[in-house]
Amino acid sequence: MSSEITTGAGHTQPDVERLHVAGLHAPSDAVLSVRDLNVRFNTENGVVHAVRGVDFDLLPGKTLGIVGESGSGKSVTSLAIMGLLPSTAEVSGSVMLKGRELLGLSDRAMCEYRGNELAMVFQDPLSSLTPVYTVGAQILEALTIHNPTMSRQAKEARAVELLAMVGIPSPKERLKAFPHEFSGGMRQRVMIAIAIANNPRVLIADEPTTALDVTIQAQVLEVLHTAQEETGAAVVMITHDLGVVAGMADDIMVMYAGKPVETGAVDDIYYNPRMPYTMGLLGAVPRVDVAEKSSLVPIEGMPPNLIHAPTGCSFAPRCPLASDACLAGEPALAPVPGSALHRAACIKSGSLGGDVDVHDVFAAPPVPVSRFDAVPREKRSTVLQLKDVRKHFPLTRGALLKRRIGTVKAVDGLSFDIREGECFSIVGESGSGKTTTLLEIMEFHKDQDGEVLIGGISNKQANDSRTKSAMRRELQMVFQDPTGALDPRFTVYEVLAEPLQNAGMDRQAIKARIMELMKLVGLQPDHVNRFPNQFSGGQRQRIGIARALAVNPKLVVLDEPVSALDVSVQAGVINLLDKLRAELGLSYLLVAHDLSVVRHISNRVAVMYLGKIVEIGEVDRVFDNPRHPYTRALLSAIPVPDPELERTRERIILQGDLPSPLDAPKGCNFATRCPVFAALPPLKQEKCLTLEPPLEPVAPSAAAQALAAHPLPAPDQRFACFFPDGEIDEDMLVVHEQADHHAP
Amino acid sequence: MTNLNAVDPAAVAQDAHLEGADVVIGKNTIIFRRFMRNRTAVAGLAIFLALTLFSFIGGYFTPWDKETIDPFNIGMPPSAEHYLGTSQAGIDLYAMTVEGTRISILIGLIVGLVSVLVAAVYGCTMAYFGGKVDKVMLFILEALIMMPALLVVAVATSGGGEGLKRDLPSWLLLIIVLLVFSWMGTARLIRSLSMSLMQRDFVKAAQYMGIPARRIVWRHLVPNIGSLLVLDITRGVTGAILAEVAFSFIGIGIKVPDVSLGVLIGGATSQVQTFPWMFWVPLAVMFLLTGSLAMMNDGLRDAFDPSSSSSGSATKRKALKTRVKRNAS
Repeated sequence: MSSEITTGAGHTQPDVERLHVAGLHAPSDAVLSVRDLNVRFNTENGVVHAVRGVDFDLLPGKTLGIVGESGSGKSVTSLAIMGLLPSTAEVSGSVMLKGRELLGLSDRAMCEYRGNELAMVFQDPLSSLTPVYTVGAQILEALTIHNPTMSRQAKEARAVELLAMVGIPSPKERLKAFPHEFSGGMRQRVMIAIAIANNPRVLIADEPTTALDVTIQAQVLEVLHTAQEETGAAVVMITHDLGVVAGMADDIMVMYAGKPVETGAVDDIYYNPRMPYTMGLLGAVPRVDVAEKSSLVPIEGMPPNLIHAPTGCSFAPRCPLASDACLAGEPALAPVPGSALHRAACIKSGSLGGDVDVHDVFAAPPVPVSRFDAVPREKRSTVLQLKDVRKHFPLTRGALLKRRIGTVKAVDGLSFDIREGECFSIVGESGSGKTTTLLEIMEFHKDQDGEVLIGGISNKQANDSRTKSAMRRELQMVFQDPTGALDPRFTVYEVLAEPLQNAGMDRQAIKARIMELMKLVGLQPDHVNRFPNQFSGGQRQRIGIARALAVNPKLVVLDEPVSALDVSVQAGVINLLDKLRAELGLSYLLVAHDLSVVRHISNRVAVMYLGKIVEIGEVDRVFDNPRHPYTRALLSAIPVPDPELERTRERIILQGDLPSPLDAPKGCNFATRCPVFAALPPLKQEKCLTLEPPLEPVAPSAAAQALAAHPLPAPDQRFACFFPDGEIDEDMLVVHEQADHHAP
Repeated sequence: MTNLNAVDPAAVAQDAHLEGADVVIGKNTIIFRRFMRNRTAVAGLAIFLALTLFSFIGGYFTPWDKETIDPFNIGMPPSAEHYLGTSQAGIDLYAMTVEGTRISILIGLIVGLVSVLVAAVYGCTMAYFGGKVDKVMLFILEALIMMPALLVVAVATSGGGEGLKRDLPSWLLLIIVLLVFSWMGTARLIRSLSMSLMQRDFVKAAQYMGIPARRIVWRHLVPNIGSLLVLDITRGVTGAILAEVAFSFIGIGIKVPDVSLGVLIGGATSQVQTFPWMFWVPLAVMFLLTGSLAMMNDGLRDAFDPSSSSSGSATKRKALKTRVKRNAS
């Protein structure tokens, strides 16, 4: 967005902009203009009206962010534009690309546009490249189809240029590589290279970073940014993550139930939302940069069923502000008073000014307080202790004679403890050994390397099944995917009864306990006879939590408990976990890649890198004052749902991916990607490369030491780095402000 | 702790929503609906049921049975007395066809059902335990596949096994032999399917709860491959019927005096010119039987396939509705 608009409303805007918003401009200005797009699907239940009247204009070089929950019609809209919907879907309305109508074109005619002027980047980079062709062949294919006259040399030169543009090192050699030789982030870069191969006018990115790690997400977003700059394409960015679009988009369209409910410039939407749904979405996201503890805003209920045409406002059943007037007819998208650019579909948009607090509107529950919170940590008993746990996998090669060519140190000397009533989190990229750590704890076998103590029972004593079942009663697990974790053929009753039967309870007691559990996790007790597929994602996760709590464990292991859920539902589950921890005195071991969730819910946190803890300590200390460069990079990579901050924030972009375990560095694991290491003089670099930094406590600052009468206890934060105060290499720092003036 | 028992308003709202609309349709209902939408499959089911019914009550419509010889009608074409004619020996073909169809369907159903059940348990066990157990069981399975089924059938039904032959009717013997050789392919398929199920979180969840392995196989694995099992049963039934016909045709399956469709077809091959009805009638019944099963299988596959487009397109459905409305007005 051009900078004069971002400075706020109430000043003169160029006429084109104003007309563009009012929908009155000449269509030739917009590179892509969608009018009254409607999509219907047939299902077993009847005809679903998935997209109901989407209008937008996309100007060259601009970015439009489409946000909304799953099922709100975001992806269907993009597929309809691309003409990729199945022939069973009925699409009506108009999609104009540079003044030419795309709807109604045959598949063959659409091929003229797809991959040429209209390109798409898909969500899952692992499955969007054909595994049997080299990356080069796939880029050449995109070039050949739309430029049949291009010579082979020219095409190859262009492919190399493209790969270099998306930041793939030694592009010439990598052309001959197959997709499986690339990591997920690299494959997404290749996808972007293919998408921009023919200089598209419009690039549609459908959740391009959802499947990636935060550090890789930051890289890919950077690449998308460069790609847009290089080609001048307009980008449609579809995402459920309000943080991802905050720094990138010029305009935002919030979709709900197949309809845009609020559109406007990015600052208007984030700082001055006028539709209760947008306000709820913003309030439901935990913030990684804010320490203040407040409950999240859950948006109650589910999106409406689109088989029946809504008679009133589609959001009214979930809206805390709904009144009778809301039920009389669906409100149209109308300009918000005071800002012509900003439109909202709410009859109360006028009264919802910038100073209305979302926590008041949505009645967020109070912050639960645990009885353990008052007790100092040292005085609480330990529920889980790991002592120097290791898990090494031998890497062998050779078909007949297996040679050991290396070791994968998935978990390498891990020690930590969890006290009663505490939530301890492990964070890190995928491949850092988080999940292996969980599995090691869940396996609980006496042949393990290292000692695991669960509620005082050591794995070294786990000889008989009795010790094991005693341990199983102390420790239960909640899985990442609520759908996969529940047997689809079991009713909720059977799901919850299984652990109880195994514990040897009689039928009456089981029944009573199940009723109790259903109430505990906020589900209706009379729904025990339903099957998991009759529940929504959030409810299924509640069932998973109930199953884990069935045998009254002390410690619950949470493996990414909310990452598969929508933002609004996620907030409800996080609030529930918080409540249960306080009321039942539970301890959690949480593994999550979403650092904002971690910050919201945990007391202590450990940052893992290649099987080792690089920083551990109290969550606010680690997040506010990170010492290890990796923690700093992780934190800076998290997008924040605050456009202003997002644009001016310094961001450390780590180079490359996790190193392969075979060529793991001898000294500090992180040296190969370390932004501090890169800026160090060679003498100091030598130390990083040869010595392994130990995990050492942070010394209290000299000033604080001098002020205090007694020597201060060391704060609860330890890290493993020789040069925590080193300068960060400038190449890896990205500040977006300068790069943002690409817009015409 | 008071609000511990409070029901979460979010969940209540969601429930109200679920109850209000007919959103939730049981999986079985959906499968049934999809199956019923496939005309061919429904026709197949009807033919199969009719044939089964015919094989059980068809005998009451004629005074003749498969053993009584009518000395006055030897090798006669169909007539009012003998609906389908008689054989060279003067036995009523209608009675023999009813009997043969029953034996064939019996063999098909028993072999189809039992072999799939054996395969399911064997395959799931292999997948669940993995490691050494898997290797040994897989070796047994491969060995059985290598064994020439044809020779074993020939030896069991004609050559050796005199004692067996005395105690068991030939059709039961054939069922046993067919059973031994029919479950391996399915078992291997089920093994690989279960292995992918093993990766699902609900199996891990059960393991972490300390549920014994036997219970996990029986309660979590077997039901979840149910749709594949149903498909394999219909396929197995067809396969068993065809195998019976083939074995009997070359003379090593069912032995006279037992009758089956294969025996009838095999016996009549030399008389196609002289007594055509003796050949064509059992052949037609066999085609009806296997054909109806194939038609059914097709519909079942579509019904179980979640990605099939059997719910039709939005435009078609809407057009249908408007047409209905127009007719009504």
